[in-house]
Amino acid sequence: MTNPIHQNSCEEHVFSALFKKHSKNLHDFLYYKFGSQLNPKDKVQDAFIKLWDNCAKVPPEKAKSFLFTTANNLMLNAVAHQKVVLRHQQKPQKKSTNESPEFVLEEKQYSEKLQKALENLTEAQRVAFLMNRAEGKRFKEIAELLDISVKAVEKRIYGALKKLREDIEEL
Amino acid sequence: MEREDLIKKWLDYNLNPEEQKAFEALEDYEQLIKLSKSSEAFNAPSYDSEAEYETVSSKLQPKISKNWIRPLMRIAAVLLIGFSVFYYTSNLNSTTSTLIAEQATIELPDASTVELNAVSNLSFNKRTWSDKREVSLEGEAYFRVAKGSKFDVITKEGKVSVLGTEFNVIQRDDYFEVTCFEGLVAVTYDSKYIELKPTQRFTVHNGVIRNNVENQTAPSWINNESSFSSSALELVLEELQRHYEITIDAKQVDTKQIFTGSFTHNDLDLALKSITLPLGITYTKNDAVIVLKGE
Repeated sequence: MTNPIHQNSCEEHVFSALFKKHSKNLHDFLYYKFGSQLNPKDKVQDAFIKLWDNCAKVPPEKAKSFLFTTANNLMLNAVAHQKVVLRHQQKPQKKSTNESPEFVLEEKQYSEKLQKALENLTEAQRVAFLMNRAEGKRFKEIAELLDISVKAVEKRIYGALKKLREDIEEL
Repeated sequence: MEREDLIKKWLDYNLNPEEQKAFEALEDYEQLIKLSKSSEAFNAPSYDSEAEYETVSSKLQPKISKNWIRPLMRIAAVLLIGFSVFYYTSNLNSTTSTLIAEQATIELPDASTVELNAVSNLSFNKRTWSDKREVSLEGEAYFRVAKGSKFDVITKEGKVSVLGTEFNVIQRDDYFEVTCFEGLVAVTYDSKYIELKPTQRFTVHNGVIRNNVENQTAPSWINNESSFSSSALELVLEELQRHYEITIDAKQVDTKQIFTGSFTHNDLDLALKSITLPLGITYTKNDAVIVLKGE
Protein backbone atom coordinates (compact mmCIF):
# COMPACT_ATOMS: atom_id res chain seq x y z
CA MET A 1 0.00 0.00 0.00
CA THR A 2 3.06 2.26 -0.05
CA ASN A 3 2.38 3.33 -3.57
CA PRO A 4 -1.18 2.77 -4.70
CA ILE A 5 -0.28 3.39 -8.35
CA HIS A 6 1.82 0.26 -8.43
CA GLN A 7 -0.66 -1.78 -6.44
CA ASN A 8 -2.59 -3.19 -9.32
CA SER A 9 -4.89 -6.18 -8.93
CA CYS A 10 -3.55 -7.38 -12.28
CA GLU A 11 -0.31 -8.34 -10.65
CA GLU A 12 -0.39 -11.92 -9.67
CA HIS A 13 0.99 -11.53 -6.17
CA VAL A 14 -1.55 -8.79 -5.41
CA PHE A 15 -4.36 -10.88 -6.80
CA SER A 16 -3.20 -13.90 -4.86
CA ALA A 17 -3.06 -11.88 -1.63
CA LEU A 18 -6.57 -10.59 -2.27
CA PHE A 19 -7.77 -14.10 -2.78
CA LYS A 20 -6.26 -15.35 0.44
CA LYS A 21 -7.63 -12.39 2.35
CA HIS A 22 -11.20 -12.38 1.09
CA SER A 23 -12.11 -15.75 -0.36
CA LYS A 24 -13.03 -17.49 2.88
CA ASN A 25 -15.04 -14.57 4.24
CA LEU A 26 -16.81 -14.25 0.91
CA HIS A 27 -17.55 -17.94 0.83
CA ASP A 28 -18.91 -17.91 4.39
CA PHE A 29 -21.01 -14.84 3.66
CA LEU A 30 -22.59 -16.51 0.63
CA TYR A 31 -23.15 -19.68 2.56
CA TYR A 32 -24.89 -17.97 5.47
CA LYS A 33 -26.96 -15.86 3.17
CA PHE A 34 -27.98 -18.36 0.53
CA GLY A 35 -27.21 -21.78 1.94
CA SER A 36 -25.20 -24.50 0.26
CA GLN A 37 -27.59 -25.32 -2.56
CA LEU A 38 -26.30 -22.76 -5.06
CA ASN A 39 -22.71 -23.77 -4.57
CA PRO A 40 -21.06 -20.76 -2.95
CA LYS A 41 -17.58 -22.07 -3.84
CA ASP A 42 -18.31 -21.68 -7.55
CA LYS A 43 -19.64 -18.17 -7.03
CA VAL A 44 -16.47 -17.22 -5.17
CA GLN A 45 -14.42 -18.46 -8.09
CA ASP A 46 -16.57 -16.62 -10.59
CA ALA A 47 -16.38 -13.42 -8.58
CA PHE A 48 -12.58 -13.60 -8.47
CA ILE A 49 -12.39 -14.33 -12.18
CA LYS A 50 -14.54 -11.22 -12.76
CA LEU A 51 -12.18 -9.26 -10.54
CA TRP A 52 -9.26 -10.47 -12.65
CA ASP A 53 -11.01 -9.48 -15.86
CA ASN A 54 -11.66 -6.03 -14.44
CA CYS A 55 -8.42 -5.73 -12.52
CA ALA A 56 -7.41 -2.52 -14.26
CA LYS A 57 -10.59 -0.78 -13.06
CA VAL A 58 -10.68 -2.14 -9.53
CA PRO A 59 -7.90 -1.05 -7.18
CA PRO A 60 -7.09 -3.54 -4.41
CA GLU A 61 -8.69 -1.41 -1.69
CA LYS A 62 -12.00 -1.58 -3.56
CA ALA A 63 -11.66 -5.27 -4.36
CA LYS A 64 -13.55 -6.46 -1.27
CA SER A 65 -16.74 -4.54 -2.06
CA PHE A 66 -16.43 -5.46 -5.71
CA LEU A 67 -16.15 -9.14 -4.82
CA PHE A 68 -19.04 -9.11 -2.34
CA THR A 69 -21.30 -7.19 -4.70
CA THR A 70 -20.39 -9.36 -7.67
CA ALA A 71 -20.78 -12.63 -5.81
CA ASN A 72 -24.04 -11.47 -4.31
CA ASN A 73 -25.36 -10.56 -7.75
CA LEU A 74 -24.25 -13.88 -9.17
CA MET A 75 -26.15 -15.58 -6.37
CA LEU A 76 -29.25 -13.45 -6.93
CA ASN A 77 -29.17 -14.33 -10.63
CA ALA A 78 -29.00 -17.98 -9.71
CA VAL A 79 -31.80 -17.53 -7.17
CA ALA A 80 -33.97 -15.94 -9.85
CA HIS A 81 -33.66 -19.09 -11.90
CA GLN A 82 -34.88 -21.36 -9.22
CA LYS A 83 -36.84 -20.81 -6.10
CA VAL A 84 -34.57 -22.24 -3.49
CA VAL A 85 -35.22 -23.73 -0.18
CA LEU A 86 -32.53 -22.71 2.20
CA ARG A 87 -30.69 -25.62 3.54
CA HIS A 88 -28.18 -25.01 6.20
CA GLN A 89 -26.68 -28.18 7.35
CA GLN A 90 -25.71 -28.81 10.83
CA LYS A 91 -22.54 -30.69 11.29
CA PRO A 92 -22.63 -33.75 13.53
CA GLN A 93 -21.78 -32.74 17.02
CA LYS A 94 -19.49 -34.69 19.19
CA LYS A 95 -21.53 -36.71 21.58
CA SER A 96 -20.18 -38.23 24.69
CA THR A 97 -21.31 -41.76 25.32
CA ASN A 98 -22.46 -41.18 28.85
CA GLU A 99 -25.33 -38.94 27.75
CA SER A 100 -28.75 -40.38 28.29
CA PRO A 101 -30.90 -41.18 25.25
CA GLU A 102 -33.41 -38.61 26.39
CA PHE A 103 -30.75 -35.95 26.36
CA VAL A 104 -29.58 -36.95 22.88
CA LEU A 105 -33.12 -36.82 21.56
CA GLU A 106 -33.75 -33.50 23.19
CA GLU A 107 -30.58 -32.13 21.66
CA LYS A 108 -31.65 -33.34 18.27
CA GLN A 109 -35.06 -31.77 18.53
CA TYR A 110 -33.55 -28.51 19.70
CA SER A 111 -31.17 -28.50 16.78
CA GLU A 112 -33.97 -29.04 14.30
CA LYS A 113 -35.91 -26.17 15.83
CA LEU A 114 -32.87 -23.95 15.64
CA GLN A 115 -32.38 -24.79 11.99
CA LYS A 116 -35.96 -23.82 11.14
CA ALA A 117 -35.63 -20.69 13.21
CA LEU A 118 -32.41 -19.74 11.41
CA GLU A 119 -34.06 -20.19 8.06
CA ASN A 120 -36.87 -17.90 9.19
CA LEU A 121 -34.48 -15.06 9.91
CA THR A 122 -33.97 -12.31 7.37
CA GLU A 123 -30.86 -12.77 5.24
CA ALA A 124 -29.18 -9.81 6.89
CA GLN A 125 -29.88 -11.12 10.38
CA ARG A 126 -28.78 -14.65 9.56
CA VAL A 127 -25.51 -13.57 7.94
CA ALA A 128 -24.58 -11.33 10.82
CA PHE A 129 -25.65 -13.79 13.49
CA LEU A 130 -23.82 -16.78 12.03
CA MET A 131 -20.69 -14.80 11.30
CA ASN A 132 -20.79 -13.83 14.95
CA ARG A 133 -21.68 -17.16 16.52
CA ALA A 134 -20.38 -19.74 14.08
CA GLU A 135 -17.27 -17.91 12.92
CA GLY A 136 -16.63 -16.15 16.20
CA LYS A 137 -16.24 -12.76 14.52
CA ARG A 138 -16.60 -9.58 16.52
CA PHE A 139 -19.07 -6.84 15.56
CA LYS A 140 -16.32 -4.64 14.15
CA GLU A 141 -15.04 -7.31 11.77
CA ILE A 142 -18.55 -8.06 10.54
CA ALA A 143 -19.25 -4.36 10.07
CA GLU A 144 -16.15 -4.04 7.88
CA LEU A 145 -17.07 -7.07 5.80
CA LEU A 146 -20.62 -5.99 5.20
CA ASP A 147 -19.83 -2.29 4.84
CA ILE A 148 -22.27 -1.30 7.55
CA SER A 149 -21.89 0.36 10.95
CA VAL A 150 -21.03 -1.54 14.11
CA LYS A 151 -24.33 -0.35 15.54
CA ALA A 152 -26.23 -1.93 12.67
CA VAL A 153 -24.37 -5.19 13.16
CA GLU A 154 -25.22 -5.15 16.84
CA LYS A 155 -28.84 -4.50 16.02
CA ARG A 156 -29.00 -7.32 13.52
CA ILE A 157 -27.35 -9.86 15.75
CA TYR A 158 -29.33 -8.93 18.80
CA GLY A 159 -32.50 -8.92 16.75
CA ALA A 160 -31.60 -12.34 15.39
CA LEU A 161 -31.00 -13.67 18.88
CA LYS A 162 -34.34 -12.40 20.09
CA LYS A 163 -36.21 -13.81 17.12
CA LEU A 164 -34.49 -17.17 17.38
CA ARG A 165 -35.45 -17.51 21.01
CA GLU A 166 -39.05 -16.59 20.28
CA ASP A 167 -39.25 -19.06 17.41
CA ILE A 168 -37.69 -21.86 19.39
CA GLU A 169 -40.16 -21.22 22.23
CA GLU A 170 -43.06 -21.39 19.78
CA LEU A 171 -42.02 -24.55 17.98
CA MET B 1 -31.48 -2.24 29.95
CA GLU B 2 -28.45 -3.62 31.68
CA ARG B 3 -29.49 -7.10 30.66
CA GLU B 4 -29.59 -6.17 26.99
CA ASP B 5 -26.20 -4.46 27.23
CA LEU B 6 -24.71 -7.50 28.87
CA ILE B 7 -26.04 -9.79 26.18
CA LYS B 8 -24.75 -7.50 23.45
CA LYS B 9 -21.32 -7.35 25.06
CA TRP B 10 -21.40 -11.11 25.36
CA LEU B 11 -22.28 -11.41 21.69
CA ASP B 12 -19.37 -9.12 20.85
CA TYR B 13 -17.03 -11.28 22.94
CA ASN B 14 -16.35 -8.19 24.99
CA LEU B 15 -17.26 -9.01 28.60
CA ASN B 16 -14.81 -8.08 31.35
CA PRO B 17 -14.56 -10.43 34.35
CA GLU B 18 -17.09 -8.46 36.38
CA GLU B 19 -19.58 -8.31 33.57
CA GLN B 20 -18.98 -11.98 32.90
CA LYS B 21 -20.12 -12.76 36.43
CA ALA B 22 -23.19 -10.57 36.05
CA PHE B 23 -23.97 -12.25 32.73
CA GLU B 24 -23.67 -15.71 34.22
CA ALA B 25 -26.14 -14.61 36.90
CA LEU B 26 -28.83 -13.90 34.35
CA GLU B 27 -31.81 -16.22 34.62
CA ASP B 28 -31.67 -17.18 30.92
CA TYR B 29 -27.91 -17.66 30.88
CA GLU B 30 -28.23 -21.41 30.27
CA GLN B 31 -30.56 -20.88 27.34
CA LEU B 32 -28.31 -18.30 25.72
CA ILE B 33 -25.29 -20.55 26.01
CA LYS B 34 -27.24 -23.48 24.60
CA LEU B 35 -28.44 -21.43 21.66
CA SER B 36 -24.96 -20.14 21.02
CA LYS B 37 -23.35 -23.58 21.28
CA SER B 38 -25.91 -25.11 18.92
CA SER B 39 -25.49 -22.27 16.44
CA GLU B 40 -21.78 -22.91 16.26
CA ALA B 41 -22.56 -26.19 14.58
CA PHE B 42 -24.12 -24.30 11.68
CA ASN B 43 -20.83 -22.84 10.58
CA ALA B 44 -19.93 -22.88 6.92
CA PRO B 45 -18.24 -25.91 5.42
CA SER B 46 -14.49 -25.71 5.59
CA TYR B 47 -12.96 -23.63 2.83
CA ASP B 48 -9.46 -24.32 1.61
CA SER B 49 -8.42 -21.03 0.07
CA GLU B 50 -5.07 -22.43 -1.14
CA ALA B 51 -6.74 -25.18 -3.14
CA GLU B 52 -9.45 -22.83 -4.38
CA TYR B 53 -6.80 -20.38 -5.52
CA GLU B 54 -5.16 -23.09 -7.60
CA THR B 55 -8.48 -23.72 -9.34
CA VAL B 56 -9.12 -20.04 -9.96
CA SER B 57 -5.65 -19.21 -11.18
CA SER B 58 -5.85 -22.01 -13.71
CA LYS B 59 -9.00 -20.40 -15.14
CA LEU B 60 -7.58 -16.89 -15.39
CA GLN B 61 -6.91 -15.38 -18.79
CA PRO B 62 -3.34 -14.18 -19.00
CA LYS B 63 -3.17 -10.41 -18.89
CA ILE B 64 -1.96 -8.54 -21.92
CA SER B 65 -0.56 -5.77 -19.80
CA LYS B 66 1.28 -8.35 -17.77
CA ASN B 67 2.59 -10.34 -20.70
CA TRP B 68 3.51 -7.42 -22.93
CA ILE B 69 6.62 -9.36 -23.92
CA ARG B 70 4.62 -12.01 -25.73
CA PRO B 71 3.09 -9.84 -28.50
CA LEU B 72 6.41 -8.04 -28.73
CA MET B 73 8.09 -11.36 -29.33
CA ARG B 74 5.61 -12.11 -32.10
CA ILE B 75 6.34 -8.81 -33.83
CA ALA B 76 10.05 -9.41 -33.39
CA ALA B 77 9.73 -12.89 -34.86
CA VAL B 78 7.88 -11.60 -37.91
CA LEU B 79 10.46 -8.85 -38.41
CA LEU B 80 13.27 -11.33 -37.99
CA ILE B 81 11.81 -13.70 -40.55
CA GLY B 82 11.15 -10.84 -42.95
CA PHE B 83 14.63 -9.48 -42.52
CA SER B 84 16.20 -12.92 -42.89
CA VAL B 85 14.31 -13.57 -46.11
CA PHE B 86 15.29 -10.14 -47.40
CA TYR B 87 18.92 -10.64 -46.38
CA TYR B 88 19.00 -14.12 -47.83
CA THR B 89 17.46 -13.15 -51.14
CA SER B 90 19.57 -10.00 -51.44
CA ASN B 91 22.68 -12.06 -50.82
CA LEU B 92 21.58 -14.70 -53.22
CA ASN B 93 23.14 -14.57 -56.63
CA SER B 94 20.86 -13.45 -59.42
CA THR B 95 20.99 -16.19 -62.00
CA THR B 96 19.77 -16.27 -65.57
CA SER B 97 19.72 -19.43 -67.64
CA THR B 98 18.79 -20.03 -71.23
CA LEU B 99 17.57 -23.20 -72.93
CA ILE B 100 18.08 -24.48 -76.46
CA ALA B 101 17.26 -21.86 -79.08
CA GLU B 102 16.75 -19.23 -76.40
CA GLN B 103 18.57 -15.95 -75.86
CA ALA B 104 18.36 -13.45 -73.05
CA THR B 105 19.41 -9.89 -72.36
CA ILE B 106 20.48 -9.09 -68.81
CA GLU B 107 20.89 -5.63 -67.36
CA LEU B 108 23.57 -5.49 -64.71
CA PRO B 109 23.23 -3.01 -61.81
CA ASP B 110 25.59 -0.49 -63.44
CA ALA B 111 23.79 -0.36 -66.81
CA SER B 112 26.17 -2.84 -68.39
CA THR B 113 24.29 -5.34 -70.51
CA VAL B 114 24.86 -8.97 -71.23
CA GLU B 115 23.45 -10.90 -74.19
CA LEU B 116 23.23 -14.52 -73.20
CA ASN B 117 23.34 -17.10 -75.99
CA ALA B 118 21.46 -20.39 -75.98
CA VAL B 119 22.15 -23.03 -73.30
CA SER B 120 24.08 -20.66 -71.07
CA ASN B 121 24.05 -19.58 -67.46
CA LEU B 122 25.04 -16.24 -65.96
CA SER B 123 24.98 -15.30 -62.29
CA PHE B 124 26.06 -12.30 -60.26
CA ASN B 125 25.55 -10.81 -56.81
CA LYS B 126 23.57 -7.57 -56.65
CA ARG B 127 24.61 -6.73 -53.09
CA THR B 128 28.35 -6.81 -53.60
CA TRP B 129 28.10 -5.34 -57.09
CA SER B 130 29.22 -1.86 -56.03
CA ASP B 131 32.42 -3.31 -54.49
CA LYS B 132 33.17 -5.97 -57.02
CA ARG B 133 31.88 -6.21 -60.55
CA GLU B 134 31.97 -9.92 -61.06
CA VAL B 135 29.84 -12.38 -62.99
CA SER B 136 30.06 -16.13 -63.42
CA LEU B 137 29.47 -17.56 -66.85
CA GLU B 138 28.88 -20.96 -68.32
CA GLY B 139 28.25 -20.96 -72.05
CA GLU B 140 28.43 -17.96 -74.33
CA ALA B 141 27.70 -14.31 -73.72
CA TYR B 142 28.38 -10.94 -75.28
CA PHE B 143 29.19 -8.15 -72.83
CA ARG B 144 28.75 -4.42 -73.24
CA VAL B 145 30.40 -3.14 -70.11
CA ALA B 146 29.80 0.37 -68.81
CA LYS B 147 32.92 2.31 -67.92
CA GLY B 148 34.02 1.95 -64.32
CA SER B 149 36.10 -0.22 -62.09
CA LYS B 150 37.41 -3.66 -62.98
CA PHE B 151 34.88 -6.03 -64.40
CA ASP B 152 35.53 -9.76 -64.12
CA VAL B 153 33.95 -12.67 -65.93
CA ILE B 154 34.69 -15.90 -64.11
CA THR B 155 34.50 -19.12 -66.12
CA LYS B 156 35.68 -22.62 -65.46
CA GLU B 157 38.43 -22.16 -68.01
CA GLY B 158 39.74 -18.76 -67.07
CA LYS B 159 39.10 -15.22 -66.01
CA VAL B 160 38.35 -12.26 -68.28
CA SER B 161 38.95 -8.78 -66.88
CA VAL B 162 38.06 -5.49 -68.52
CA LEU B 163 37.65 -1.81 -67.78
CA GLY B 164 34.75 -0.94 -70.01
CA THR B 165 34.39 -2.49 -73.39
CA GLU B 166 32.47 -4.87 -75.59
CA PHE B 167 33.53 -8.46 -75.82
CA ASN B 168 32.23 -11.97 -76.31
CA VAL B 169 33.04 -14.93 -74.10
CA ILE B 170 32.42 -18.58 -74.89
CA GLN B 171 33.06 -21.37 -72.45
CA ARG B 172 31.74 -24.73 -73.63
CA ASP B 173 33.03 -28.08 -72.40
CA ASP B 174 36.69 -28.02 -73.51
CA TYR B 175 36.36 -24.86 -75.60
CA PHE B 176 37.11 -21.34 -74.40
CA GLU B 177 37.00 -18.28 -76.59
CA VAL B 178 37.20 -14.55 -75.88
CA THR B 179 36.70 -11.97 -78.62
CA CYS B 180 37.29 -8.29 -78.07
CA PHE B 181 35.17 -5.83 -80.04
CA GLU B 182 36.02 -2.59 -78.30
CA GLY B 183 38.40 -1.41 -75.57
CA LEU B 184 40.90 -3.69 -73.91
CA VAL B 185 40.29 -7.16 -72.54
CA ALA B 186 42.61 -9.13 -70.30
CA VAL B 187 42.32 -12.91 -70.21
CA THR B 188 43.84 -15.01 -67.49
CA TYR B 189 44.05 -18.60 -68.64
CA ASP B 190 46.05 -21.33 -66.97
CA SER B 191 48.24 -18.73 -65.21
CA LYS B 192 48.84 -17.03 -68.60
CA TYR B 193 47.90 -13.38 -68.94
CA ILE B 194 46.85 -12.22 -72.41
CA GLU B 195 45.63 -8.76 -73.45
CA LEU B 196 43.26 -8.52 -76.39
CA LYS B 197 42.79 -5.40 -78.49
CA PRO B 198 39.71 -4.81 -80.64
CA THR B 199 39.13 -7.45 -83.33
CA GLN B 200 41.47 -9.87 -81.56
CA ARG B 201 40.28 -13.29 -80.53
CA PHE B 202 41.68 -15.75 -78.05
CA THR B 203 40.69 -19.39 -78.45
CA VAL B 204 41.49 -22.52 -76.51
CA HIS B 205 40.27 -25.85 -77.85
CA ASN B 206 41.34 -29.09 -76.15
CA GLY B 207 44.17 -27.17 -74.53
CA VAL B 208 45.42 -25.71 -77.86
CA ILE B 209 45.69 -21.92 -77.75
CA ARG B 210 45.11 -19.89 -80.91
CA ASN B 211 44.93 -16.18 -81.66
CA ASN B 212 42.61 -15.11 -84.47
CA VAL B 213 41.31 -11.89 -85.90
CA GLU B 214 37.65 -11.02 -85.95
CA ASN B 215 36.48 -8.39 -88.41
CA GLN B 216 32.92 -7.95 -87.26
CA THR B 217 31.89 -5.20 -84.82
CA ALA B 218 29.70 -7.53 -82.76
CA PRO B 219 29.33 -11.28 -82.52
CA SER B 220 27.10 -12.58 -85.30
CA TRP B 221 24.90 -14.63 -82.95
CA ILE B 222 23.48 -11.37 -81.64
CA ASN B 223 21.87 -11.11 -85.12
CA ASN B 224 20.61 -14.69 -85.04
CA GLU B 225 23.53 -16.09 -86.92
CA SER B 226 26.51 -18.14 -85.76
CA SER B 227 29.80 -17.48 -87.54
CA PHE B 228 32.95 -19.54 -87.50
CA SER B 229 36.35 -19.03 -88.93
CA SER B 230 38.69 -22.02 -89.09
CA SER B 231 36.71 -23.89 -86.43
CA ALA B 232 36.51 -27.63 -86.04
CA LEU B 233 33.30 -29.09 -87.45
CA GLU B 234 32.42 -30.66 -84.08
CA LEU B 235 32.23 -27.19 -82.48
CA VAL B 236 29.98 -26.01 -85.28
CA LEU B 237 27.69 -28.98 -84.87
CA GLU B 238 27.55 -28.51 -81.10
CA GLU B 239 26.57 -24.90 -81.60
CA LEU B 240 23.93 -25.96 -84.12
CA GLN B 241 22.42 -28.28 -81.55
CA ARG B 242 22.14 -25.37 -79.14
CA HIS B 243 20.01 -23.41 -81.51
CA TYR B 244 17.78 -26.18 -82.86
CA GLU B 245 16.26 -29.04 -80.92
CA ILE B 246 17.95 -31.72 -82.96
CA THR B 247 20.41 -34.57 -82.54
CA ILE B 248 23.20 -34.83 -85.07
CA ASP B 249 24.76 -38.16 -85.97
CA ALA B 250 28.17 -37.33 -87.44
CA LYS B 251 29.86 -40.70 -87.06
CA GLN B 252 30.35 -41.07 -90.80
CA VAL B 253 32.14 -37.74 -91.30
CA ASP B 254 35.41 -36.25 -90.09
CA THR B 255 34.46 -33.80 -87.37
CA LYS B 256 37.98 -32.48 -87.05
CA GLN B 257 37.87 -30.80 -90.46
CA ILE B 258 37.96 -27.04 -90.45
CA PHE B 259 34.87 -24.99 -91.20
CA THR B 260 34.63 -21.30 -91.99
CA GLY B 261 31.23 -19.80 -92.48
CA SER B 262 27.98 -19.18 -90.66
CA PHE B 263 24.50 -20.54 -90.15
CA THR B 264 21.19 -18.87 -89.31
CA HIS B 265 19.15 -19.54 -86.17
CA ASN B 266 15.79 -19.21 -87.90
CA ASP B 267 15.76 -21.90 -90.60
CA LEU B 268 17.08 -25.40 -89.93
CA ASP B 269 17.27 -26.50 -93.58
CA LEU B 270 19.11 -23.36 -94.58
CA ALA B 271 21.47 -23.75 -91.62
CA LEU B 272 22.19 -27.39 -92.47
CA LYS B 273 22.87 -26.50 -96.08
CA SER B 274 25.19 -23.66 -95.02
CA ILE B 275 27.30 -26.13 -93.12
CA THR B 276 27.18 -29.23 -95.33
CA LEU B 277 27.44 -27.76 -98.84
CA PRO B 278 30.87 -26.09 -98.43
CA LEU B 279 32.25 -29.30 -96.91
CA GLY B 280 30.70 -31.56 -99.51
CA ILE B 281 28.59 -33.47 -97.02
CA THR B 282 25.03 -34.73 -97.46
CA TYR B 283 22.45 -35.04 -94.77
CA THR B 284 19.21 -36.92 -94.17
CA LYS B 285 16.57 -35.77 -91.73
CA ASN B 286 14.49 -38.17 -89.61
CA ASP B 287 12.29 -36.10 -87.34
CA ALA B 288 14.82 -34.52 -84.95
CA VAL B 289 17.72 -36.74 -85.89
CA ILE B 290 20.09 -35.53 -88.59
CA VAL B 291 22.47 -38.08 -90.10
CA LEU B 292 25.51 -36.70 -91.90
CA LYS B 293 27.29 -38.60 -94.63
CA GLY B 294 30.50 -37.89 -96.45
CA GLU B 295 30.46 -38.07 -100.25
